[in-house]
Amino acid sequence: MKFWPIRILSIIGAVLGCFLFEGIAHHQSDYTQRLIILAGLYVTLAVSLNLINGITGQFSIGHAAFYQVGAYLGGYLSVNYFKSMHLPPLVWLLVIMVAGAAAAAFAGLIVGLPSLRLRGDYLAIVTLGFGEIIRIKIQNTPALGGSYGLNVEPKIQSIAIVWLLAILCIAVCRNLLKTANGLPFLAVREDEVASSAMGVNVTRIKVSAFLLGSAFAGAAGALLASYEGFITPATFAMDVSFIILTMVVLGGTGSITGSVVSAIFLSYLPEYLRGLKDSSGEPLTLTGGSVVASLIAVITVVAVIRWIYTDGSRNKSTRIGMTLGAIVGGFVVQAVIAAILNHNGKLHNSILVAAVVAVVTVAFLIRSIYASRATSKTWQTGLKGLGALLGGLAVAAVLNTVLTHLFNLNDGKVEVGQLRMVIFAITLIVLMLLRPQGVFAHHEFSWTWVSKLFKGRKGATA
Amino acid sequence: MSILKLDKAMIRFGGLVAVNEVSFELNKGDLFGLIGPNGAGKTTCFNLITGVYKPTSGQILFNGTDITGTPSNKIAKLGICRTFQNIRLFKALSVLENVVVGGFLRHKTGLFSALAYLPNSIHETDKLKADAMELLRVVNLDHVAHVRSADLSYGMQRRLEIARAMATQPELLLLDEPAAGMNPQEKEELLLMVKKIRDEHGMTVLLIEHDMRFVMGLCERIVVLDHGEEIAQGPPSAIRNDPKVIAAYLGEAV
Repeated sequence: MKFWPIRILSIIGAVLGCFLFEGIAHHQSDYTQRLIILAGLYVTLAVSLNLINGITGQFSIGHAAFYQVGAYLGGYLSVNYFKSMHLPPLVWLLVIMVAGAAAAAFAGLIVGLPSLRLRGDYLAIVTLGFGEIIRIKIQNTPALGGSYGLNVEPKIQSIAIVWLLAILCIAVCRNLLKTANGLPFLAVREDEVASSAMGVNVTRIKVSAFLLGSAFAGAAGALLASYEGFITPATFAMDVSFIILTMVVLGGTGSITGSVVSAIFLSYLPEYLRGLKDSSGEPLTLTGGSVVASLIAVITVVAVIRWIYTDGSRNKSTRIGMTLGAIVGGFVVQAVIAAILNHNGKLHNSILVAAVVAVVTVAFLIRSIYASRATSKTWQTGLKGLGALLGGLAVAAVLNTVLTHLFNLNDGKVEVGQLRMVIFAITLIVLMLLRPQGVFAHHEFSWTWVSKLFKGRKGATA
Repeated sequence: MSILKLDKAMIRFGGLVAVNEVSFELNKGDLFGLIGPNGAGKTTCFNLITGVYKPTSGQILFNGTDITGTPSNKIAKLGICRTFQNIRLFKALSVLENVVVGGFLRHKTGLFSALAYLPNSIHETDKLKADAMELLRVVNLDHVAHVRSADLSYGMQRRLEIARAMATQPELLLLDEPAAGMNPQEKEELLLMVKKIRDEHGMTVLLIEHDMRFVMGLCERIVVLDHGEEIAQGPPSAIRNDPKVIAAYLGEAV
């Protein structure tokens, strides 16, 4: 076996690839570079939390604490020792990364210990509490800048190192799952008593998971500190933990691929929405009509996609085709409804309320007809589709009333940027409703999976 | 030579004495039955032997060494493995992976080489998988090796649990109601399988079972528990006619 040549070549390839990527990204704006770096850090965080939460099944929601430990140690070392050490910046970055990882791993060990006795919600509370203790302790330590924050000198920015860390984290988790050593981790998630009876040292597995997961978060923290040049305890507030957790759950608990994809998606989405421009280069604004139209379109598309996937008579490629078609159709529906609603320039709530009442009445009418007579299969699916459409309209109308009050839509226009967190939240809700087990569920990316996707499956009746 | 010896093992949960000074001894190569009405303390006995509970008093000896209060993962390494009354498979894992977890205690490659995906970890993983596949052939589950274990039928799940326990290569195999929920034909197959495990793999088997025909047809010696106390011990023919056993199962004559 030519193991080592292949291994060394692939490592060199990854390093070169990352530096090449940095070279290309260097010509982009600072803002774009920032997005790329944050996405890389979030990939590391999500994949490392996935190791604890998804693979080993220890419900931890204090991941920002490990991130913070790494960041503050890295920042502190940079401020106090960088000048006296005379190391090149990239080497120094590696040094503080290792130091941050070690410190966070130690913190992970401390949090890992209660996990030996606690499970599920109880462990979640303990990890949450632990995270807050760390944050508040740092907030009250003058040597670390307290709540004013810590100015980190020098600032070192390296897209390549950030993404190399992310790749390392992905590789480590993937290797774990590829070898037999990963199975005890999964076994502990599934059943602690049974794994112990099979000779698995449950204590050791849980502590290893916490050590590894928190070490990667710590390394990411050190990189963040030297990139930002300024960190405060508020950078690592509880919501960061929750965002990371959301990434893991949305991607599919236990799936590395899922964590990576959703980390990139979720760190990019709010920024994308912030920067939306219309054709003349002004920030994109919406009238009340187009907001309502968008909601209707989204909900209809969701209903149609659900219908495509619940009816079992299609193969995968047809389904994907139909889904794409539905999404395109959604844009058309949005445009048409928006044109109608915007025609008047203003949108009157009274009209909408009347519409809702009418729709609900019609829906109930149809429902009663549907229930009273034996209907054919096509009728049923048709009715379901209609019901979903009308239901969507009603939901949109209700949401509209709420939104018009919140954002004064009746008076005119709203910038999408202002609504971005609302859209972000709605996207999360819609995605989780469509796929409660996460986008990738427990699947991992592989080329055979891709080829299977397009081959389609055997017909149910065959 | 005795492989397992319970010496006045006793456990108390608050005011309830679940197992009261039970003593019995298994010899190498025994097919030993543990029976008794519901709530007699049979599964608690298993939990004492496998280290899930620590006995309040008494001693448990395995191959002459005291294993009282040893943690269950160490007991599994010493050579005692069990199945569970309410099946406890690793549901999300495939059939093959379940068995590999059983074989993992003989795995030598450290976590670090696995994380670096070094050749020795790849080889050892392949070897564990090959061994597991071999075992699946013994219990006739090789055709479903890559199915999620939760998707198996009940009888298959029971057999998989036995295969998983066998993968640890125990000297003593504890089976907790292996035939529960099986149909007569499956029971017949299981009976042959357990005999084969003893004869061909040289394991000593201790089993809990409610199905009397199954126990009487399989076991060479039987211990009967009732209300945590041992009421009879001996070969099936003697147990069948023991007045105390009949009273425990059917009640006293009025």
